[in-house]
Amino acid sequence: MMKLEAIIQPSRFESVKDALREIGVEGMTVTEVRGHGRQKGHTEVYRGREYTVDLLPKVKLEMVLPDKLVNRVVDTILKTAKTGKIGDGKIFLSRVEEAIRIRNEERDENAL
Amino acid sequence: MTTAARPGFDSGIPPSKNMEGSPTPLSVLGPQADAERQRIRQQFEGGTSARETLKALCELADGNVRQIFGEVLRVHGHEAQGLCLLALGGYGRQMLFPYSDLDILFLFGSDRAEQESRPLISEFSRTLWDLGFRVSSAGRTLEECKRIEEDNAEFHLALLDRRLLAGDSALFEKLDTKILPASEKQARPFLLAQLHRLTRERLTRYGNTIFHLEPNVKESPGGMRDCQATIWLRQLADEKKGSRNTTAAEEELSASAVDFLSAIRCFLHYSNGRNDNTLTYELQAAAAQRALGIGDGRARTASDWMRQYFRHARTLNRQLLRYLEQRAPVPLTLRQRFFSAARAARVEAGDGKHFHVRDGLLEVVDLPALSDRAITYSLFAEAARSGAPLSREAERSIGYILTHPELPPKNTELCWDKLREILGSDYPGLALRPMQRLGLLTEILPEFGLIDSLVVRDFYHRYTVDEHSLRTIEHLQELAEPPDERGAHFAQLWKTAERRDLLILAMLLHDVGKGMPVENHITGSLAALDSAAQRLKLSPEEKAEIRFLIEHHLDMSATVQRRDIFDPATVSGFAESVTTQERLQRLCLLTYADIHAVNPEALTPWKAEMLWQLFVATSNYFSRTLDRDRLHAHDEVSLLGRIQGFAGEATTEEIERFLEGFPRRYLAVHSAAEIASHFALYRKLSTEPVQAEVAATRHSFALTLLTADRPALFATISGVLAGWGMNINKADAFGNAAGIILDTFHFTDLHRTLELNPSEIGRFRKSLEDVVNGKAALEPLIKGRESASRGRTPKVTVETRINFDDSSSAHCTLLEIVTQDHPGLLYEIGSALARLGCNIEVALIDTEGHKAIDVFYLTAQGKKLTSQKQELLREVLQETLS
Repeated sequence: MMKLEAIIQPSRFESVKDALREIGVEGMTVTEVRGHGRQKGHTEVYRGREYTVDLLPKVKLEMVLPDKLVNRVVDTILKTAKTGKIGDGKIFLSRVEEAIRIRNEERDENAL
Repeated sequence: MTTAARPGFDSGIPPSKNMEGSPTPLSVLGPQADAERQRIRQQFEGGTSARETLKALCELADGNVRQIFGEVLRVHGHEAQGLCLLALGGYGRQMLFPYSDLDILFLFGSDRAEQESRPLISEFSRTLWDLGFRVSSAGRTLEECKRIEEDNAEFHLALLDRRLLAGDSALFEKLDTKILPASEKQARPFLLAQLHRLTRERLTRYGNTIFHLEPNVKESPGGMRDCQATIWLRQLADEKKGSRNTTAAEEELSASAVDFLSAIRCFLHYSNGRNDNTLTYELQAAAAQRALGIGDGRARTASDWMRQYFRHARTLNRQLLRYLEQRAPVPLTLRQRFFSAARAARVEAGDGKHFHVRDGLLEVVDLPALSDRAITYSLFAEAARSGAPLSREAERSIGYILTHPELPPKNTELCWDKLREILGSDYPGLALRPMQRLGLLTEILPEFGLIDSLVVRDFYHRYTVDEHSLRTIEHLQELAEPPDERGAHFAQLWKTAERRDLLILAMLLHDVGKGMPVENHITGSLAALDSAAQRLKLSPEEKAEIRFLIEHHLDMSATVQRRDIFDPATVSGFAESVTTQERLQRLCLLTYADIHAVNPEALTPWKAEMLWQLFVATSNYFSRTLDRDRLHAHDEVSLLGRIQGFAGEATTEEIERFLEGFPRRYLAVHSAAEIASHFALYRKLSTEPVQAEVAATRHSFALTLLTADRPALFATISGVLAGWGMNINKADAFGNAAGIILDTFHFTDLHRTLELNPSEIGRFRKSLEDVVNGKAALEPLIKGRESASRGRTPKVTVETRINFDDSSSAHCTLLEIVTQDHPGLLYEIGSALARLGCNIEVALIDTEGHKAIDVFYLTAQGKKLTSQKQELLREVLQETLS
């Protein structure tokens, strides 16, 4: 099992969600986050006040996937979240040792 | 009601003997109780009333409690003397729902009696558990009952509903007639305060509204707890039975609400198989199918049936809130009293004969006057203006008048001007809430009735559609003092928004389509606007503004969530659909409030920030692209027609000549009637080269001036206004292709010269025309004013910022100045610009508190300003404004 974390543009979230649903991924945790990688922020002035937008809004998706699904999910996110501009985000993958469903104590992929 | 047992009580001490061998062992009693429960359930499902059902359940519990108590005493060889059992809370009131706990108090005559009774009480509780009764027990000695447990107000409140179940009746008599009446009397202020606290906490936990999509019929506002809290409040206030505090009609409504809610609660317990009081969507449908609580057996839709639920919940909640207000246990603080007195003084100055403010609430003084609806509406207008809510008693009085035909109402029509006054005030929600509760809102706006108590199922909304709509308005009025960081940016938009009345009317109507059989609710809401606009006689421009807000009310949140708001193409596309700064401001406020009112968590700081970023980017786009889009009058066929309608015999060519080359914003911020009046002034220019008009608006004056362009014109007009002591809050300066300048100034009359001396308006206009025409000098006017205003220090300091932007406009250099506002400021800036040979192509002047925010589109000899000129201008302005 792999844990996948993807940081994407908020504007691409709906499309990514729909695309993932189409390939059978229903469950994910979604968090509204702020941050920046190489894409730096900028300054906006409104009525004499300066707003430094150095942490840009992003959406973080988290899901734990059975190994056989990982590549398809990564491809789907790459395809749907990409705009080709700086700030499209990143995908992180890490191995998960074990998963347990609290309700009935099912384990591993059965718990997903 | 759960009453806390004392630590150590009933803590599992093994019984010395058990119930084996008793004449009615568990093996017999258990099935008997089950069978009886089953019979009661079947009868309820067969149509027996909730009242009968609760009574039967209570008798079943009473019978078993008495029997088990007797058996336990017998088996343990114990006497009942010095020990009795009391039913408390709902059980004490004989309102025992199918899966409710039995709240039982063991009362001991002495500490010794308590010690001796422990084993048998433990066994008693366990046996009842085994028979399927959920016992929640507590124990006290008679002596302990004299003391008030300050950390356990719930116990004392439950004791108010005490009832003897079994045991030593003399002991109960002593408690009931001697001990408790004395201690309750002494503890009344404490109990009242605690009851207020507990009730307020509960109501707040549920968002202070009855209108939940899936309400809890026990705990939510409007639920059974409201009814119980009212009874306790009345009991603690020692209200005599039959006192005139509540009318017979109110008592009847209340009883019918209790019957309805009791039926639901029984139904929920039976359906869920446990003490779960949440009226879920599924159970709403099931209850509606069997017309639960209505009794005619006619199946209804879930939303129709829920309207019945909300009607009853409103009865119970209204009654509770009225008693909470009447029996406030805590006197007002000194600050609150001063505040209240200040409000009262302001009301006296207005319409002091019919109502006044007491303890921060608007009270009716002259009750019979309420049959004049105009006075009733002025009461609502006062609440909306002053921020003092109507007292529940005032609301009740209005309700009484409305439902009693022997008091025929006068002046029932509410004209748009009066409604505008309510909607455009600082606290419109304070008027609209009680108007909705009293049915007056739907009388004025029948379209709103379509969403009255309407449940629309979705994952995000927590409230009914009408409640959501009213909450949007309340979230805006909160912006006067934003309760958290999410509102901080939007507060300034709310404070400076123009025509809030249009925004608030749009908010009332924006979701009305959800109550119509249409595919897209926006289509329905727009149809509702058509009928409302016709009835209220809105002008076409007013209707168009509201139409825009309703039609686009989801656009800004969709753009924020589904588009890249940092992409300039997104911003320009969005700006083009919004068209003006004023619309953007209103749409942004609507979006902020609309998301906020979905549920308490919907507007995250993240979303609020994104919304603000889009607002800022779009607003900046407007100020930086103003001269990009100029009017080509020939293409504006419909506008030309409308202006011609106002302008009489003028030819289309003449109107075209006048309009040609104005920035498009000119069309967006003026109605056809206003443009026609500008055109009328334009036609008079051939006889008099300067045309000026001064009109009083609600809080300020507006000056419109038309003349051929000339050097330092803007500075001259600003100078005359400053010379007369007028403070300019807002201004536009536009020029057409023929070099005719149209300046509009909104100013406040600092010394009330024009307000107190209407004849001075003519002299002011003459003075303005003479100075602009060169017939009179400006300097003496300015000098006189300078000496008068010298020495005043500003309360707030604003740092001066001067920015130039060469990239936003193709032909002009943009100059943005943010600085401390003061009388004569615009004259100083305009003069500096004129001295350096800068021509103002377009100007946008605005004020926010003590801060002036001015944008000028400048050229020098027909071109953008050179960088040397910009630096020079910066230096001069810096010096002038410091």
